[in-house]
Order: sequence, then structure tokens, then C-alpha cells
Amino acid sequence: MADIKFKLNGKAEQLEVDPTTPLLWVLRDHLGMTGTKFGCGIAQCGACTVHINGTATRSCIIPASAIEGLDITTIEGLSENGDHPLQELWYTLNVPQCGYCQSGILMAAADLLQRNDDPSDADIDAAITNICRCGTYPRIRAAIHKAAEAIRAGAIA
Amino acid sequence: MNRRASTGVDLSRRQFIIRSSALAGGMLLGMGELRAGTSPVPWGPDNSTAGELSPWLEITADDRVIVRVPTPEIGNGAMTQMAMNITEELACDWNRVSVQSSSINRDYREAGVYTRGFLPWFGGHGNDHERMDYIMQLGASARERLILAAAQHWKVAPAEVRAENSTLTHTPSGRSVGYGQMAASAATIALDEEPALKPQSEWTFLGKASPAKLHIPAVTRGEAVFGIDVKVPSMVHAALKQAPIHGGRLKHHEPEAVLDMPGVRAVVVVDPSNTRGTKLEQKSTWGLATNQVQSGVAVIADHYWQAKMALDALPCEWEKGAGKNWENSSEIYAATAALHEQPPARVLRESGDVNSVNDGKIVEHDYATPYAENAMIEPLSATAQVSDQGAEVWCPTQDMLQAYWVVIDETGLAPEQVLMHQTLVGGRFGRGTQADDVRMAVAVAREYPNVPVKTIWSREECFAQGRYRTPINTRFRAVLGSDGYPQAVTSRVCFTGTQPLYQLTLGYDDMPYFTSGIIPNLHLSTSTQPVNIMNGAYRGPCFNSHVFIVETFIDDCAIAAGIDPLEYRLHLMSKWDKSWSDCLRVAAGKAGWGSRLPAGEGLGIAISNWPAGAMREAGTVMCAAARVSVSKAGELTVRQVDVAFDCGRVANPDAVRAQIEGGVLFGMNMTLNEELSIENGATPDLNFDRYPMLRMGDDLPTIRVHFDALSGHERMSIIGEAPVGPIGPAIGNAIFQATGKRLRRTPFRKHDLSWS
Repeated sequence: MADIKFKLNGKAEQLEVDPTTPLLWVLRDHLGMTGTKFGCGIAQCGACTVHINGTATRSCIIPASAIEGLDITTIEGLSENGDHPLQELWYTLNVPQCGYCQSGILMAAADLLQRNDDPSDADIDAAITNICRCGTYPRIRAAIHKAAEAIRAGAIA
Repeated sequence: MNRRASTGVDLSRRQFIIRSSALAGGMLLGMGELRAGTSPVPWGPDNSTAGELSPWLEITADDRVIVRVPTPEIGNGAMTQMAMNITEELACDWNRVSVQSSSINRDYREAGVYTRGFLPWFGGHGNDHERMDYIMQLGASARERLILAAAQHWKVAPAEVRAENSTLTHTPSGRSVGYGQMAASAATIALDEEPALKPQSEWTFLGKASPAKLHIPAVTRGEAVFGIDVKVPSMVHAALKQAPIHGGRLKHHEPEAVLDMPGVRAVVVVDPSNTRGTKLEQKSTWGLATNQVQSGVAVIADHYWQAKMALDALPCEWEKGAGKNWENSSEIYAATAALHEQPPARVLRESGDVNSVNDGKIVEHDYATPYAENAMIEPLSATAQVSDQGAEVWCPTQDMLQAYWVVIDETGLAPEQVLMHQTLVGGRFGRGTQADDVRMAVAVAREYPNVPVKTIWSREECFAQGRYRTPINTRFRAVLGSDGYPQAVTSRVCFTGTQPLYQLTLGYDDMPYFTSGIIPNLHLSTSTQPVNIMNGAYRGPCFNSHVFIVETFIDDCAIAAGIDPLEYRLHLMSKWDKSWSDCLRVAAGKAGWGSRLPAGEGLGIAISNWPAGAMREAGTVMCAAARVSVSKAGELTVRQVDVAFDCGRVANPDAVRAQIEGGVLFGMNMTLNEELSIENGATPDLNFDRYPMLRMGDDLPTIRVHFDALSGHERMSIIGEAPVGPIGPAIGNAIFQATGKRLRRTPFRKHDLSWS
């Protein structure tokens, strides 16, 4: 067991945990933060995507020992009131179907937009490598473009 | 321990649920909209609530309308659709409407209060006619009772009170009151006579508005509760391993090797002989044959990761079950194909005399589809607490009636003793219909009684223990007449797999080619190759193979006859429901059929109907026209897909569009990429590194959904399964046009498409 300190959605966290436990399960089982999803366990599907020091990362292969002192943002912390432009457009454009993979996709898209407020289709293809079995990809693309537009017009992301 | 983790622990579970439900409240979404949103838990109460106007409908004092729906949300918007239906008649503010899943236990205790219409607890058919009328009547009835309550309150004539947008207004005086304030008294009013429903022509919401699904705000905030997200105080976690070769048994294991590992509480054996069985007449939707316990072992620990680590370290030996141990999938498919040389097991359709037609061009080929896995992104899971006195289960089932009776059967408990809670469903695409996963979770939890146990299948376990798409090998032999059209067709479908439930013939013998009488001599039959590997429901079961096969065969005939494939189909449909030719013409027209394409490009078309091809004005006819380009090196790009369809009428146009877009991509992945291989009796394709899935960077087609072929017939047929029929053969037929290469087997990625 190890004592691990990190920042989670802006607040200090401290936790006694087996240091080999993946961040995904630290979040889900130890902290009860189930917005981050388990999909494959081998960093393939992207359902578990969170931001680590601002960068979209697949949390299922990051051991707890590696997050000491780092800044983690999960879907629960993407925005204070659920009003990130992506969250709003995900609703307006009816993007999700079942919705299970979407928190990972939102986190990947939010990372893209904080680096690039005018992404091309190719930029989106490169940034969103997540799997959506329902096939919501066309709407994800449309929503990212519109969110970028909103951000360029001054919306707070 | 972190504080956050312990917040719920000091509450009893019952309190926890009640408290959570009480939190179901206003949720502020951006853009100034106030939405009722989704409650922290998606399941509704097991008992009637004060002020409910019906078991299906509660209006709270603060004007929120809560609709309790038996069909789960699986991604197709069935719950939202039910709420839309009630809203049309209730005249309430959509922004104050939310949904919960109905309690099946209450349904049992109250003589089927939620059991209405076709497949009442299945996650589809949201607009089944009987259920739709029923729920709209509830809305109309509630509206009239609210009007009467307001009239009594103001002591005015009911005719002077108008209900609109969740507000009751006394027209002459202008006084008004919200629905919420009148709900409690309305609940006590019984109508002498039910109000008549509005005719469709007077609808203002259905067919006009396209609201987004009601669970989306919870999804985007990470608050949505899928099966795997259930939190129950004192809950522990189980990792499960079932016999790697289906039908096998646990022979030996060494629990002492892992019992000292961190967090481990127990190692439990799951044995099929422990199923208690029910003495009652079971009323499950699909029966119990498809969901028997598989021999397995589970490690129970405080946390899932601890359970999984210990399970991975647990020494186990397995013995194979009865039957042949198949070395690989080729061996299985060869055994299935060999059935073509044997007499058929079943003749489906016979007319004229196929042996009487001997002169003419012969088109004869075998067409085949392989195993595939549902591969929903939410892994299988369920949470169960079991004792001798009762069971409580939280699960992402696609059909709660099925899950309920499976739990009753597994535990031997009385229906009154079994409480079930429907969570949101992460995809499933059929995998969640049989409740074999729910049965396994209950069987695990029974071995660790009185404690809630969440059992999670690893991704590898999901792939290993799938209930795979039924592999099909079909032979077609046509004798073409002098006009190029089939005079005789002989065909045999050879199914692989033992489950009779998954040897469906939708998309095969119900196609108008074979039902309209246009082909005078027909002989269609089936055979079955039993194997130990389990098959099951995979989006549009069997239909997804049959349509690929039939529509590739029809294209083969058109090419052999030297007739344009569109013209060929239009002729063969000429004696049938006009909807089919309308869909063909719209899709082809929008796709630019007949225009000259550059070398290496092709346009292909295909059509089908789920689930009622043999009937006129029924089901959903859907036609896809696909435009592809293939490089000389053989790289395939599907550039554009034009879809035309007729499901009668549409209640939520954007929801229909979303389902078709998603279905096209699902069917495209199925056709281009998916084959689950078998080696030494089990699949080695245990995760997404070996099972390719389309992603955004895969040069996806532009998908254009056209509403022009809608007939306006009063039905609102289901839309989710339909696209997985025609998209694959449309692409295959386009590849033929582009390259001259005819693909009669999927997945296409295994074919060399190079040309010169």
C-alpha cells in the first residue's frame, strides 16, 4: 500500500492504495467517481480518458504510483456546471446514443480544443481515437466543430 | 479511506435509494434551459407514490412530470419517445419531463400495470401501436383530470379551463396555476368517460419536434448510471471466469493460492447444478434455454482490481464439455457448408417446380458470414444481493421481464421476493436480451450471501463468453429466363449454432423476391450445424447476414443478365408494396445513380425490411446506396451512403436520423472488419487490439438520410435494426462496380481488392 497525493478536479486528494491499481479503478472504486468508464483495460477504446496535467490520457493503464503530485481532471470536473461548450453541444446535437463511451470522448475533445480552437477534420481524426460502437462519429465531429466556433466567439471552455 | 468513498456507507441501502430518488431534481443545463434532467438513479420506485396520476405518471408539486417507462434506454431513445408520446396529450412543458424505469416487481404485484403492447419490457418498439395508444391515453386522461381539479378549485366550469405548457388557465378570468399544484387533487379524480385522443393531424409535438434524449445531460456530466456504475453501500466486487471453451467445466482450482492477496474475501465456484429452478409457470420474454449458468469461478474482493488480480493469479484447470473440439473457424465453416450436400432440415418456402426449369443461364454461388461479437463498450456486469429470503438486482438488461424471470429461476424465490432495478444500458446490441449475464451475477452473489456483489466481466471475458452472431452459409442457384429474370431459385441457408432462437429467417424468405410471386419456381430451405460455441442476438439477428447474402445474389443475377442492378430490383419489386420501389428510387436518385464514375469508383444498392418483409405496409423498408472508391492497390474508401426508408411515419425525425447514421456505421464495421476467429475451441480475439473497430480516422462516409420515401402510413415502425441489412451489400455491390471483384463473404478486409 502507498499513500498517494494528487489533485482531482481542482481539489487535493490523498489516498491509501495499492500503487499498482490503475488510475481508472482508483477513480471508480476508491473514490466513487464513476463518470470515467471501463471499456477494455488496454488503452484501446478510450472510454477511460481523463486529463493528466491537462493532457488526455487513458487512465486504465496508468498506475496509481504514477499520479503522485499530478493534476487529474475527470468528466465530473470538466466544467463547474456541466456547461462546457462541448457538453452543451453534445445535448443540442443529440450526439450520444447509449452514452457509455462519451465521457472519454468528451475528455479527448476538450483536450483537443484547449490546444486548437479551430481544428480541421484531420485534427479531429488524430485526437479522437476512441471507439463508439453506436456509431455517433458524424455527430461528434459536428459538435467539435461547433464548440470550436463557440470558443472562438468567446465561450469559456 | 477517502471521504467521498464513504459518504453512502452509513446509510442503509433502502434509505440510500429513497434519499437518492429525493434528489431527483432541477438541473441547470447551459443555454438557459431548465430541464428536469435525469435522477441520480435511473430506476423508479417499487411502490406507488403519493400524488401519482397513474403507475406510469407522477407530477410533482414543483411541476415536474416523471414518466415511468418499462422499455430501457439502450441508446435508441425508447424512453424519451415514451415521454414524448405522453407529452403530446398531457400538454406539458417538455423541459420539465423526465423518465424513470418502471418497477417490474410492482408490475408483478399489481397485475401487469406496465405490461402493454408487443415485447413490453424490451428496449425497442417504443412506438408499438398498443403501447403508444395506451400511454397517450394516460396523458389525455391526466390532462382532463387536471382540468377538472382546477375547475373544482376555482369553482368554474371545466370547459372554461385550458391546459397548455404545464399550466392550467381559467380563460375568462386569466387566473392560472401550474400542473404541480393541481396534481394531488387530480390524482383523486376518476373520469366518467375517457377523452378521445387527438388525430395525428392535430399533433403539435410528435413528428414535429426532435428533442434530444433525456439521459444526455447526465451522460455529459459523468452522472449517468449504467450497470457498471451502480453503487450500493457495503458492496463488494467480483471478477469472473467461465469455462474458456463453451460448455466446459471447472475441474480443479487452488483458492488458497490467492486468498491472502490484498482485499480478497472469497473464491466462489459457480456450478450449473446449483440453479434452484422455479416451480411457477415462467413468463420470461425469450425462455430460459439461452441463459443457463456456465461453470466458472469468481474472486470476490473489496475492489474490482483486487478481484481481477487475484483471478488472474488463480490456478485453474478446465475440462472440455461434450462434443467436438473445433480446431479453428475454418473447420466449423466447412462442416456447415457441407450441409449443402445433405437433405434440408426444414423447407421454408416451395412453389412451382424448380426442377422443371432447365434452360437458361445459371447463377450459382455460396455466400457466407462469420462469427462476430457484439462488442458493446460497457462490459457485462450486474450487481446482486441474494439471501434465502430475497434477491435484489441492479442490471443493464435490455429486457427486464427476461431478467426478472431468470433471477426467479436461478434463485427459486417467489416473484414478490425479487427486486430488480433497471440501469442505463451501454449499447448491448442484443447481448443484453437473454439475461445470461444477470443469471451469472446472481449465481456468484448467492455464494457470498447477504452482501451486494457487483460482478464485472473483463473485456477478455466479454469476448470469450459472447453469444456470437450466427455464422451463415447460403447457397443460391438461379436459372434465368430469356428476359434475364429468375425463373427458378433454389436456396439453402446453413446455420452454425445450436440455439433455435438464433436461426431466424428474417431478411431471407420474407424478401419480396420470394413472397410476391414474381419468381414462379422456388425452393428455400435451411439446415443447422450444431457446435458447442454459443450464438445469440447480434443487432438484427441473422437478418444482418441474410440481407447481405440475398442482395449480393440479386446483384449477381442482374450482372449475369446484363441488366442494371437498380432496374433489375425495380422489376422484381413491381408486384409488391410500392414502398420498396419508392425507397430504391429515392436512394438511387439522391446518390446519382447512372452517372458516369471515374475508374476505381462504384455505386451499389441494396434493400430490405426489418422485421416484416413479407407484409405490405409493415415494418421498416430501408434502401442504401453506397459510393466507394478502390485504389489500384486495393484500398477501399466508402465515400458516401444515401439511405431512403419507409417506417410509415416518424415521431422524432432527428432521433430516426441518428439511429440510421449509427446503424450504417455499425453495419459497415460488421461487413468490412468483423470476424471473430476460433482456435482450439475458443476465440483468441479477446480485446480490441485483435478485433478492429471503425474509428473517426477511418475515412468514414458522408451519410445522407432521406425522408422522401416515407409513405405516411400510420405505423411508426422500429428503426434500429433496419440499417444493418442493406449497408453491407450496397458496399459490396459498389466494390463490384468499381473493381469487377465480387465479394461473397464478409469481412471485406480479408479480400484482395487490387485491380488494374
